[in-house]
Amino acid sequence: MIWAAILGSGLATYLTRSLPFVVGYRGRVPPALSRYLEALPVAIIAALVGPAVVLPAGATTHGAEPVAALVTVGIVVWRRSLLAGVAAGVATVAVVRLVL
Amino acid sequence: MLATTVVVGTTFGIVARQSGRDPLETVGMSLIVFAGAAQFAMLQLFAAGAALPLVIGTVLLINARHLLMAASLRPRLGRLPLVSRLAAAYVLTDESFAMATGWYRRGGTGTGYYATFAVALFALWNCATLVGLTVGGAIGEPRRLGIDFAITATFIGIVVLAVRRGSDVVVALAAAAVASALALAGASSVAVLTAGALAPVIAAARR
Repeated sequence: MIWAAILGSGLATYLTRSLPFVVGYRGRVPPALSRYLEALPVAIIAALVGPAVVLPAGATTHGAEPVAALVTVGIVVWRRSLLAGVAAGVATVAVVRLVL
Repeated sequence: MLATTVVVGTTFGIVARQSGRDPLETVGMSLIVFAGAAQFAMLQLFAAGAALPLVIGTVLLINARHLLMAASLRPRLGRLPLVSRLAAAYVLTDESFAMATGWYRRGGTGTGYYATFAVALFALWNCATLVGLTVGGAIGEPRRLGIDFAITATFIGIVVLAVRRGSDVVVALAAAAVASALALAGASSVAVLTAGALAPVIAAARR
């Protein structure tokens, strides 16, 4: 199942990368469709975040995840650094679990 | 750009190892899928025991943006032989697209710049994955250290850094809220795809 998913996901991804190089077409992409496609990754990833914060596997540990999510947002906005945000979020979860 | 690839690739290796993927699967993902956000999403879906169509559907939606980037590069790379075009497509990422677009805007021509950076990013991403795997294998007691939160934190960082305008914030909050509501209502399996496919309508409707 894991390997089927990896191969299937690889094929799906490659299709999105290669189709415009292979298939000829005329005209432009409608602006609304272009805006929809550009917003898709942010929407899907945000949709993954929501349940992971309010319903993490095995329930929240003393509310650590929502607090850590806010800390992560704050640090990434402030430092513009993915690594700093992840480190701060992970550390927040670890500290809450240690203390409570 | 190169440093970010190394950091995120290493993080992927660590998190993949900690979330139970074996080294071969992890390397396979970086070689075959080669798409950062989608690979992290796959880890989360695997950990949640998601069904095959759900994994592939989510990856397809996350990566649908490549259609726009490839279409935008087509005038520059479209005259290459088919085999070269197919190879160029394999290494098309947000990063290689951004670098190539910057190069052409500065007056650059040809395909060497794109090819060099795109292949370098592919190599870096896969080397970083290997480094992450090694580091990840050396960390004990991942839950106590909060490592299980690393995927979620990575997603939050990706979303925050991707925000370009107000409507992005609205789309992100709407997607997270709808997905959470569906998950709390017991519809976890369809929560992400439903919320993720609906929320961008807000951006499409923007004037």
